[in-house]
Amino acid sequence: MGWSGLWSPGFNPQQTLKGPCGYVHRLSLKRENNQKMSNVKSIDDVIINVARIIIDELMIEDVTPQTFDPEMDLVDEVGIDSMDLATVALVIQDEYGIRIDEDDYPKLTNVRLIAEYINNKL
Amino acid sequence: MQTHWKFSDILADPVIRTRWQRVKKYFFLRESTYDMTNRCNIRCEGCYFYEGDKQFVTENNDAELWRDLMVKEKERGITFVVLAGAEPALVPELLQTCYREIPLGAIASNGLKFIPETIGYRIHISVWGNDQTSQAVRRADRMLERQIKNYKADPRAVFVYTFTSGNIDQIRDVAPILAENNCPFTFNMFSAPVGYTGDLRHTPQTLAKTRDVMLEMLETYPEHLLFSHYNITAHTHELGLHDLFQCSYPRMNPHEDVGLGKTFRQYRADLTWDRNAACCVPDTDCTDCRHYAAGSAVVTARLFRHATDPDTFKAWLDYVDTYLAVWVMGYEKGENLSPHFVEPPGRT
Repeated sequence: MGWSGLWSPGFNPQQTLKGPCGYVHRLSLKRENNQKMSNVKSIDDVIINVARIIIDELMIEDVTPQTFDPEMDLVDEVGIDSMDLATVALVIQDEYGIRIDEDDYPKLTNVRLIAEYINNKL
Repeated sequence: MQTHWKFSDILADPVIRTRWQRVKKYFFLRESTYDMTNRCNIRCEGCYFYEGDKQFVTENNDAELWRDLMVKEKERGITFVVLAGAEPALVPELLQTCYREIPLGAIASNGLKFIPETIGYRIHISVWGNDQTSQAVRRADRMLERQIKNYKADPRAVFVYTFTSGNIDQIRDVAPILAENNCPFTFNMFSAPVGYTGDLRHTPQTLAKTRDVMLEMLETYPEHLLFSHYNITAHTHELGLHDLFQCSYPRMNPHEDVGLGKTFRQYRADLTWDRNAACCVPDTDCTDCRHYAAGSAVVTARLFRHATDPDTFKAWLDYVDTYLAVWVMGYEKGENLSPHFVEPPGRT
């Protein structure tokens, strides 16, 4: 089952997301029923917060934490690179008080993976 | 004394934050390198280009095919080109073609043939000692004089002095001439090609001596020398760049998910490339690599492990600031933030 926490009634699926190096990528927005899953709330929060960190740090335009597709590949679809990922990893370390191994952060290539990684460390 | 630093604590220092924000704007740079021709107008001892197979390919001089390549490179995200081997000044029309498609980049040249001003890339002019040494190692007369004549007051030019084991003191002859002519310069370290058995390879003793001389130059020519204490540390350490920082170029980096391991290619003059050979100075002995071009990527990529405390992070910022000033047209070097030597951090 796809991720259920990211639907946004007002969001235009044709909206584009401008990456930090000028790439333009199409958001593949998951529109699903807003079904509640009892044990998902906490990871939902983490996903939204990670999306916020990425948007803030990389100054990504035209997208909000709520409309950021957590499955979107940050490297291939958003166009961010290792330096950007390292920056995001540093901020996440700060915010969650966890330690990210430098061998791990290149593997954290979408918001969902990052959120799951954080939850496993908490 | 604080022993554990959050990244936000480090950035709370306004000087650090300002420099961080300045260099961060350049994180969009994605480089690849290109051998433009197999030909050169001189032949230097220990030249990495004339090692391995790349010198034997049939060079492609079709400007239209080069344009197509640049278009495709742009499409896959390359934003910065390094045009090298053997002597790119011999094919100015191809340089122009590249510049039209990807306007950020640098050319590695011996500086003996002027590259037209319409090609607005950074130009790195290689200097290997005083004129006597250049005559012996590069078989070229009055080299520095001719290089300066071509590129004095040219905003594209950065002179790159390569320290070998045999020319360390000669920077004391060369640096005043460069400074008098208002030529910015930086340092490179001779890094032996695979199988090299000549006399230019560094030893622990020559590395230590180079370190001392580099520091002397940094103190004597702060206006003209683009370098920092951390550059000195990283490039004169007994361990090479790979052992210190784990090289991020494909040749030594199996990861293809992100970063140089994913995007970097080193094209030969026939427009082919080989992932197993891909790095900025192919056919260099990786254990001996202290090359300035390698460091620019390898040290810079290790942001994560340098964000541990203000001193280490300032040293890294100095390195990145230097790298940008050396490689990117229009980027002005700031004042170094770290006035002392910082040991490279280990893995996090």
